[in-house]
Amino acid sequence: MTSTIVECHQLTKNYGKKKALNELEVAIPAGRITGILGPNGCGKSTFFRTLTGLVRPDAGRIEVLGKPPGWQNNRDIAYLPDRARWYPSHTARMALEWGNSFLPGFSMERAIQLCDYMDIDLDMRVRGMSRGQEARIMLILCLARDVQLIVLDEPFTGIDVISREAIVASLIDYLEDSEQSVLISTHDIQEVEGLFDYTVMMKEGRAIWSGSTEDLRAEYGSLRDVFRKMYMKEWNK
Amino acid sequence: MEEQQVGSLHFHIDFSQPLYEQILDQARSAIAKGEIALGDKMPSVRELAQELRINPNTVMRAYQELERDGLTEKRRGQGTYVTSSPEHVASFRTELAARYIDSFMEQMESLGLSWEDIEKYIRRKQDAAQGGLGS
Repeated sequence: MTSTIVECHQLTKNYGKKKALNELEVAIPAGRITGILGPNGCGKSTFFRTLTGLVRPDAGRIEVLGKPPGWQNNRDIAYLPDRARWYPSHTARMALEWGNSFLPGFSMERAIQLCDYMDIDLDMRVRGMSRGQEARIMLILCLARDVQLIVLDEPFTGIDVISREAIVASLIDYLEDSEQSVLISTHDIQEVEGLFDYTVMMKEGRAIWSGSTEDLRAEYGSLRDVFRKMYMKEWNK
Repeated sequence: MEEQQVGSLHFHIDFSQPLYEQILDQARSAIAKGEIALGDKMPSVRELAQELRINPNTVMRAYQELERDGLTEKRRGQGTYVTSSPEHVASFRTELAARYIDSFMEQMESLGLSWEDIEKYIRRKQDAAQGGLGS
């Protein structure tokens, strides 16, 4: 498949003196699970906010699903923001009902299946949930939608191993028979590196490497090793 | 490297090498060795992807190649089965043996060894193995 789902040229966004995106060049193929990898502060979240239209770039061009970002485009995108939380007073069922009434392409049946699969009690209130359980709810709100593009910003951060495994398992299950494209950003690739069939490595607002993950392995070894080498400087700071 | 068992198949996946080839090679030799019997059901793509924690597309591509090898066949709505033809497996085993010999010979030749030398090494190995059994 050669069509692209996200394309950027010279994409730039500054916050004061800090270049969050620095002439970013990237073309992400459709129908794949793409890992956007890099240490904290490398521009992953800004990139995701730009492609959902939440952040307007200072310069450059970005196309998502062949169109410029914006609210019209977002009906075809399920986005899990960084550090996403849900209303503490809601039960899981209320969160799903909210999704069912507001999110385009949401399937209640699918959401309930996912809750069952990810071991979420529908009558539990978010207030009483662990960070991992809440993260699973947020993910379910994305995965229960029939949309072309799913964007998950750091879905594995700060959650327990069980939740992490449940999330990886449901992604594998869910993606087996779907044509959807998924972008996942993470700074921690342990246990998830087998998931990505396309990889973009970011550093200081740029893509320092992008391509098929299998090519990356053939050329440089495991993602974990590559990651360690490429970001050594940051880690030693 | 992790070793994992999926049904009657064993896999060791090394994330520093392309995954597709590892799955393909390991499934091929499992069938050639008879680790999984003729006519047996293969794990589903989903099951294998789950157990190995890898992208289902990668597993699917390896399965397509196994089918092209003639080692497996898809049955509509039932999944993938190991071929029930011993001839298919035998001919694939011969092919695999030829490939192993090629790479073995290449390595030996890269050491500057002649045919006679190589034969000598093999004979010595064989004697050692038999001696070991006898004692």
